[in-house]
Amino acid sequence: MRPQSVGWLFLAPTLFILFVFGVLPFIYVLVVGFFDWNSFAADPTPRFSGVNNYRELVFDSGYLMSLWNTLRFGVFAVVSEIILGYALAQLFMRNFPLKGFFRTIHTLPLMIAPVAVGATWRLMTVPGLGPIPYYLDKWFGIDFLISRYPQQAFFTTVVMDVWHWTPLVTLTLLAALSSMPKEPFEQAQIDGANRFQTFWYVTLPMLKPAILSAVFIRLMDAMRTVDEVWMLTGGGPGAATRYVGLYIWRVVFPKTDYGYGSAMSLITLYLTIVLCWLLYAGLVARRDLRRTE
Amino acid sequence: MSDLPPAAAAKKPQGFLPIHTNAFDRVFIAVVVFVAIHLFWMRFVEQDLSLYVATVISVIVGAFIIARG
Repeated sequence: MRPQSVGWLFLAPTLFILFVFGVLPFIYVLVVGFFDWNSFAADPTPRFSGVNNYRELVFDSGYLMSLWNTLRFGVFAVVSEIILGYALAQLFMRNFPLKGFFRTIHTLPLMIAPVAVGATWRLMTVPGLGPIPYYLDKWFGIDFLISRYPQQAFFTTVVMDVWHWTPLVTLTLLAALSSMPKEPFEQAQIDGANRFQTFWYVTLPMLKPAILSAVFIRLMDAMRTVDEVWMLTGGGPGAATRYVGLYIWRVVFPKTDYGYGSAMSLITLYLTIVLCWLLYAGLVARRDLRRTE
Repeated sequence: MSDLPPAAAAKKPQGFLPIHTNAFDRVFIAVVVFVAIHLFWMRFVEQDLSLYVATVISVIVGAFIIARG
């Protein structure tokens, strides 16, 4: 058997699983997006409607608002996670007492189910019961009520996401920092580079692939956040935290509008891919190109 | 003749896109542009001009990207 055939043979199970669980559902959603299909309607059979779902979607202010809120949420959460994750990774590169213990404690949020995270934060933010409203009122005089104030609800969901997912970024960056060679840093020291210059011209370029991986993973995760936010705020107050995943869920399940839900899912996927691709093209591809010129 | 070493010279962009692309990249960009033009058209232009015009424009732009991008 030729080596190439052996390679395909080994790849076959993975490709089969990817096709069955990835490609086929995608094609199904793509097709359903062109149909009017509501199982609670007078006529529950799917009817071909062309691009009507997409036509409706571009004028749906609720959907557009949820997209905007999701983008804001994604940007705030991912930027905070990268900065905090890098700081923690640098901290864990140093030696200090009980380092192993703190590293384990710090990764614990990753092991908690998102629904449990949402429920925990809900308990912590309930007025009269949770410690967060109590101490914010006692120390700073802040009236903390996420069921009334949209900005507070929004930033609480961001903080919850940062609390839950920063350890993932830390571990990714820690692995990258640990595998860095020492020579470039020694060379920078010999050349008289200060700490900022070493960070900017040596550490950051070498960390870039790890940072980009973390940004892509977290951005894609943030764009499909549902469970945590549902448990914490239920999408409220009003539509302040009704992120796109929650919005789609409301259309697909309680309203059983499968066609429109599929169209929204596809456009959300499209925007996520475009966003990640633009980041890649802007930060990696252009830079690599400039280096070769 | 280019002063670049062969590997770097091969990475030089061949078309008008500001990044080095292969055929798959250009098809991907064409599909992204196709969808973007249609969504934009449905939101802002379709009241005055049919969506088929957007399809024709998208196909032309897509073919141009794939051929010259």
